[in-house]
Amino acid sequence: MMYIVFIMGVLYVVGFIGFSSKPSPVYGGMSLVVSGGLGCGIIMGSGGSFLGLVVFLVYLGGMMVVFGYTIAMATEEYPETWGSNVVVLGAFLVGLLMEVFMIMWLFSGEHELMGFYFGGLEDLMVLGEEGFEYVREDYSGGASLYSYGFWFLAMAGWMLFVSIFIAIEVTRKRY
Amino acid sequence: MNPLALSLILTTLLAGTLITMMSSHWLTAWMGLEMNMLTMIPILMKTTNPRSTEAATKYFMTQAMASMMLMMALTINLMYSGQWSITKMTNPVASNMALMALMTKLGSAPFHFWVPEVTQGVELTPGMILLTWQKLAPLSLLYQMATYTNTNLIYLSGLLSILIGGWGGLNQTQLRKILAYSSISHMGWMLIILPFNPTLTLLNLTIYIMLTLSIFMILTNTFTTSMSSLTLMWNKTPAMTIMLMTTLLSLGGLPPLSGFMPKWLMIHELTKNNSIIMPLTMAIMALLNMYFYMRLIYYSSLTILPSTNNMKMTWRFTNTKHTMTLPTLITLSNMLLPLTPMISMLE
Repeated sequence: MMYIVFIMGVLYVVGFIGFSSKPSPVYGGMSLVVSGGLGCGIIMGSGGSFLGLVVFLVYLGGMMVVFGYTIAMATEEYPETWGSNVVVLGAFLVGLLMEVFMIMWLFSGEHELMGFYFGGLEDLMVLGEEGFEYVREDYSGGASLYSYGFWFLAMAGWMLFVSIFIAIEVTRKRY
Repeated sequence: MNPLALSLILTTLLAGTLITMMSSHWLTAWMGLEMNMLTMIPILMKTTNPRSTEAATKYFMTQAMASMMLMMALTINLMYSGQWSITKMTNPVASNMALMALMTKLGSAPFHFWVPEVTQGVELTPGMILLTWQKLAPLSLLYQMATYTNTNLIYLSGLLSILIGGWGGLNQTQLRKILAYSSISHMGWMLIILPFNPTLTLLNLTIYIMLTLSIFMILTNTFTTSMSSLTLMWNKTPAMTIMLMTTLLSLGGLPPLSGFMPKWLMIHELTKNNSIIMPLTMAIMALLNMYFYMRLIYYSSLTILPSTNNMKMTWRFTNTKHTMTLPTLITLSNMLLPLTPMISMLE
């Protein structure tokens, strides 16, 4: 179990390398989906079942679906993939090499192994004054976004609206 | 731009800076910086030519990279200290990485390369917002977290900024690039005094913003963007030409104008702390700035270049640009030096 979360973390980074080596967005979107799924796996492996399902639902089921449809509208005839362009393949291989070096560095030396600490999301939080009232931290975190963290929610919602607004304003026809 | 869209964007720009300046939690501070960056993009792209789009793209690239570095610094700080407060970033990796990210956002050397290109690519009014308002949020964060950073980095960046701001502006004829290099140089002065007396950083920021606002508004009112159109300004508005002269001298730090106040107090503070070579170098390099300001003054007020006779008698149209705040700003940017004892209210 300890290794599963670590391997999912490494594959998460490999997915990021897959789209940051800049193939066409069709393939980049696929890489994002893989990374999103593995990210959900990392969160679930650390014990946060609610937050992992939120990632799947909102990120993959909401954002990536919209992203996929917009890519499908704006795609080109011969999309660039990892094998079709030497630059993209080179960037992917360099990224993979850096990841391998990082893993080798992680397992060398006497320092504490990072990436092997898991289980931080399954804690229980004490709620209520009389004791014996426990609530899971990730559930109550999601709920407190609407109570204590209302200002955060307002700002996050406002910024999502303004980001879409700016995207439309920037890509408007300009003449 | 559509007035409703413009009001939304300007409101979010204001809100972003205010959120960063009011926050004690790193995440909200980062959120405010992101809000600033995102809403600056359509302001920079207000005109429809590809030059503005390129400038907005460069701005987005550099600021997004700085935000990413800042987020990494926050996460490292969280990993090693377990808390999100801005004033106590005790891990040196986190605090120095955050310092470099904030220096990129400010446009100080060696991360200054985007400032002249972005300022030149946009109109005067977005350039004004870029060089004045966008400095407030990162400097408010630097003011809080600079005590735990490596001060050698701050001195190095500050000195490099003053050098590059001085030498880079020497070969320029476009006024927006000259003001961009002037901004780089002033950021250098502000950074160097930060470990010694952060109040003087805020004083320098206030006076720099007043001076830069005055100059940009004079240039906007007379439609001058290059030195060649500066030579014809005497005919349109002689009063503003003289005001430009005094404001530019103040920007260069000449007594008895206001711009002398921060430089004097900073050199005083540095020599009180037994540092002689650094303020000497800073003062000498400020002369490079003074040289190209003097060149602008020479071509705008002190000389009339040879021209045909009909160019000496331009038809004076009514001024449609509003100059409501300009007299106050010019008075403040030239005559504040006798009020120097009042800086104790900034503490």
